[in-house]
Amino acid sequence: MAKKRIELPQGTLDLLILRTLALEPQHGWAISERIQQISSDVLLIQQGSLYPALHRLERRGRIKAKWGTSENNRRAKYYELTKTGRKQLELEKDTWKKLAAAVAQILETA
Amino acid sequence: MFNDMFFRLRSLFRRDAVELEADTELRFHFDQQVEKYVKSGLTREEARRRARLDFGGHEQLKEEIREARGVNLIETLFQDIRYGLRIIGRTPVISCIAILSLALGIGANTAIFSLIDTVLLRMLPVQRPEELVQVLRLNPARGGGIDPSFTNSLWEQVRDHEDVFSGAFAWSQEQFDLAQGGAVQNAKGIFVSGGYFTTLGVPTAAGRLFTKADDQRGCPALAVLSYGFWQDHFGGAQSAIGSALSINHQRFQVIGVSSPGFYGVEVGSKFDVAIPICAAAVFDGKESRLDRRSWWWLNIMGRVKPGISQNQLKARLGVLSPQVFGGAVPDWAPADQQSFKQRVLLSVPAATGTSDLRQQFKQPLDILMGVVGLVLLIACANIASLMLARASARHKEIAVRKALGASRARLIRQLLTECVLLSTAGALLGILFARWGTSLLVRFISTGNNSVFLDLSFDWRILCFTATVAVFTGFLFGVLPAFRSTRVSLTSAMKGSQAVDAESRAKFRPGKWIVASQVALSLVLLVASGLFLRSLVKLVTMDAGFDRNNVLIVHANLHNAKVAPEQQPAMFDEVENRLRALAGVVSAGRSVMTPVSNYIWNNLLQVDTPNPPTGDAALAFFNFISPGYLGTMRTPLLAGRNFNDGDTKAAPLVAIVNEALARKFFPNGDALGKYFRVQPEPGKTAPPIQIVGLAKDAKYESLREEAHPTAYFPVAQITDLTEEQVFEVRTATRPSALVPAVQEAVAGVSKTIPLEFHTLAEQVDDSLVQERLLATLSTFFGGLALLLAMIGLYGALSYLVAQRQPEFGIRMALGAPRGSILRLVMRDVVIVLTGGLTAGACLALATVGVLQKMLFGLAPHDTFTFIAAIGVLSAVAVVAGYLPARRAMRIDPMVALRYE
Repeated sequence: MAKKRIELPQGTLDLLILRTLALEPQHGWAISERIQQISSDVLLIQQGSLYPALHRLERRGRIKAKWGTSENNRRAKYYELTKTGRKQLELEKDTWKKLAAAVAQILETA
Repeated sequence: MFNDMFFRLRSLFRRDAVELEADTELRFHFDQQVEKYVKSGLTREEARRRARLDFGGHEQLKEEIREARGVNLIETLFQDIRYGLRIIGRTPVISCIAILSLALGIGANTAIFSLIDTVLLRMLPVQRPEELVQVLRLNPARGGGIDPSFTNSLWEQVRDHEDVFSGAFAWSQEQFDLAQGGAVQNAKGIFVSGGYFTTLGVPTAAGRLFTKADDQRGCPALAVLSYGFWQDHFGGAQSAIGSALSINHQRFQVIGVSSPGFYGVEVGSKFDVAIPICAAAVFDGKESRLDRRSWWWLNIMGRVKPGISQNQLKARLGVLSPQVFGGAVPDWAPADQQSFKQRVLLSVPAATGTSDLRQQFKQPLDILMGVVGLVLLIACANIASLMLARASARHKEIAVRKALGASRARLIRQLLTECVLLSTAGALLGILFARWGTSLLVRFISTGNNSVFLDLSFDWRILCFTATVAVFTGFLFGVLPAFRSTRVSLTSAMKGSQAVDAESRAKFRPGKWIVASQVALSLVLLVASGLFLRSLVKLVTMDAGFDRNNVLIVHANLHNAKVAPEQQPAMFDEVENRLRALAGVVSAGRSVMTPVSNYIWNNLLQVDTPNPPTGDAALAFFNFISPGYLGTMRTPLLAGRNFNDGDTKAAPLVAIVNEALARKFFPNGDALGKYFRVQPEPGKTAPPIQIVGLAKDAKYESLREEAHPTAYFPVAQITDLTEEQVFEVRTATRPSALVPAVQEAVAGVSKTIPLEFHTLAEQVDDSLVQERLLATLSTFFGGLALLLAMIGLYGALSYLVAQRQPEFGIRMALGAPRGSILRLVMRDVVIVLTGGLTAGACLALATVGVLQKMLFGLAPHDTFTFIAAIGVLSAVAVVAGYLPARRAMRIDPMVALRYE
């Protein structure tokens, strides 16, 4: 049996996408694969939420898209972080850590 | 920001490329997923199936991407508009009804609002109107009474201390007679101070305007024309400058024309001719109003210096007040003079000018705004019903679109766009209605004596109002149907009509609510119009104490005819006798005042009875009349004698009083033969006047009043010179037909006497403008509301009957008598009607209180009016409901069942 999968809280997907793209430009499928792998199959990103999120981030100028060739020689759309995207990532990473720490603290002590 | 814009625009204009890119991207993802499954050991067939399951709906996903890219807002708007226009065109009858009722509703709202805008809200078309203030005087002694009128002496004091303002000016409106003899040719005149045009910053259209140098004592008779008057009377000719103009039979020289678009500072009227204040001396002769310290004829405005606040101005005027009032004390009793010096100058913002209309029509306009608002709501409700019915017809279409991936929000937006399209069309047509309606309204509130002029050009405020109303109504009637009709269960829609029918009873519920609320709102309007109508009828039919029909009123001004004062009484007598002898004249009389004429003359009375009324309670109203007056007016003489030829200037002073005066000053009922005095000017004594007759009460100032205590004196015993008198001529036929004969008769005495003609009926009617306006319009709108509500009821029921046709068919096939089907439908009518009427009656009871001041002779909770309104509404509703019910009853069960 697969491990139980967890629904992502609102807004977290954007952060994960940005983080994934921080290493290198990726196409959509690779992004979802990578998140799934790194989270040890806990997080499964549905296309239904991935692509709208990518296009939304693109519109907001956090990432930009370029057409390139994939490993198996097909045309694929690669996304990469922009300067503002990188800044946004740092900002949200901090916020997330603080939030997570605070939630953890409450769960432990209260 | 820029990125976002570029992105949206690219999505919009390079739509195909963007769509293709999205497709390619998604297909790539899909293929990768398939590859992955194949690698993990599935067959290619199985892998594709799994991947497709993962993916969900391809089209839905693309729609969501489009949403995320922000294309949709703009792009789908165009789509929706195109689609909406098609839908509207496909059901032309429904659409026409909807647009027409919206146009009526929005048009009525725009019309009333543009009146409110022009009368109450609009700034004067002058330089920096926000700096203007009107100067008023506060009388601390009389409980803080505030008055806008000033004497010339006071104005001269203010003018000499003008440095409180950056500029100040005074003006006074007066009717000028431009004729050189014969019939009066009235023009709207204003007296203006020298700084009037310069302080307001009014540009010159031709010649020059007044300066302070033109407004000095003993000034030459100069005149400035308004642009409109220049165009109408001189054809805009340059030669008008320098030409002569006869004003009140004096020769004035035209020196210039003010700019177009400037009509004066009094909203609701426009001036034709302006002359300097100093020119009043030309008309008045020796005892000019320039020096009369009790003649309150001027209004004052000032322009506040930049940077001075209202409070600072108030303080400065306060400091200035003792000097101003101290320098213009009238020749009153010492105590009154003392109180005069205590008065204080005040200022109020006057960016919107001043207006008599405001006081008179503010409340009626507010009420009418409420009325047309209700009408619009009822129209909206109607269209909401139509939309609901149509949405049910489009049930399948909506289900299909939903199945194909349209989100509910998207569908709702589509439906709302249709509604806003409808209301926009309604608004455009409504603006046309409004233009026409507003000028009609202005004509309505104009009276023979006082023609109302309003600059009715549309401004941004009116357009904003109409646009807001249009969008608001579009949403109002669109929201409910849009939400309901998109709540489609896909499975039941696919199953076919049976399931839909099962839902339809529940679906009618909002329809019932809508119709019930229409009934409720219509009832409120019907009650309001009933109240106004009954008030008007009471005013028109009540016994005013005189008979207004078939009386011609002829104003004759012997001052302007330049008749020497000592010859005037004889000349008036001569004219009266000649009029009485005319063919077609039943009787004739003459007087100084006429009833309900906007003019009053009153003073305090002194009597010798114990505990006489004092102060304002001792106020009585006066008139000088000839022996023929009471008979001509048909005011009965109850006791004593009428005046006769023996009541000459030399004879003892006598008076006829009305019942109200007798009751008030002689409570024992023995007025006849008693004496009273009119309060004399300080330092003088007044002669006693004996009461020789008792007349029935007659209205003096307005039809609404409790009859004022009134005393009539013989014209022969007039103390002051009264150079303008009025002849009343009771005619056998139409009064206006006698005008030529009267002119000829007067010309037989003197050819120079200026005459002005009215009928008494007109004069009384003119005093009821407000009441007639409210009664007519509220009845019109009440009727319209009733019509709309009944269309709504009829439509909703017809729809229901059509939906339930199979059910009725089954009932009849099983043996239900036709009457029971009728009862079934009528039960719905009764439920809706009862609910609506109850709600409406409560709403009406709660709100009619605000109408109190506008009513006459009945309370706002007038039972008769309520019962009548409920009766009318129920009767019409039963008829509107019976028609579809009868159709239900006549259903042929075989035909109905065949549809199943």
